[in-house]
Amino acid sequence: MGLFSCKDCVDVLRAYLDGEMSPEEEAHLKAHLGDCPPCVDFMESYKATPGLCRKALKAKMPEELSQKLKAYLRDKTNPA
Amino acid sequence: MGMDSVAEIGSGDGTAGDGDALLQRAQEGDIAAFEALVEREQDKVYGLALRMTRSEADAAEIAQDTFFSAYQHLKDFRGQAAFGSWVHRIAANNALMRLRHRRVVEKSEEALVEPGFTRMGILRRPPEQWERPADEQVLDAELGQAIERATDRLPEGYREVFLLKDVEGLSYEQIAEITGDSVAAIKSRLHRARLSLREAIDQFYSEK
Repeated sequence: MGLFSCKDCVDVLRAYLDGEMSPEEEAHLKAHLGDCPPCVDFMESYKATPGLCRKALKAKMPEELSQKLKAYLRDKTNPA
Repeated sequence: MGMDSVAEIGSGDGTAGDGDALLQRAQEGDIAAFEALVEREQDKVYGLALRMTRSEADAAEIAQDTFFSAYQHLKDFRGQAAFGSWVHRIAANNALMRLRHRRVVEKSEEALVEPGFTRMGILRRPPEQWERPADEQVLDAELGQAIERATDRLPEGYREVFLLKDVEGLSYEQIAEITGDSVAAIKSRLHRARLSLREAIDQFYSEK
């Protein structure tokens, strides 16, 4: 599996996805990935995590609160 | 970034559109146009504040303070994109100040979950096969709840960075400006937060 272990691979995922690795390190990573399907799956799931979280954490302001916000801003922006 | 810093107000991507016309009308004193701008951003501002503070009351106050502050600086914005990115940064700043004042007992880093490796550095357990939702827009409700719980369990400094980078899309430099932390520390925390959340999702699929 080359010079990189699975742990080395996991440790550099963020840097790899941000394009911050040296060509040499990137070659080690790719050599490992070419030989280790679990690490390929791991990388895919790591890449998918932010998107799934964005969907799960989307919040809508409750209607009652939205009305209160509007009333507050009207009051503040139109003191007369 | 200071609460009322306006130095970068014109630094949005400058995308022209109906939002810009709306902003121009708001700047000319049209309150309805200002309210329309608020409506466009309020869910994201409220959502960010809620996830960061985990308090609906705090999130509501942060939304009020943020949009009033935006109103006070209205004339300084150039482009609706600048308005949007500014209110999100102000909301994040507001939320951070509240967290710092709240003096909550910080969760230790033990709350972070990381993948297991053998002594040789080999993954102990291969990742689960994650299902792709049939409708990309709709997330399994149970998975959504598992992600919410896992996000809430993250230690504060890690949750903040994850929310600001991966949910809000701020740059590392913007986050450093808001939190006062180094970019290197932010990158390290982001990685560990992602690993922890990835483990939670993997756990969800292993129990399905």
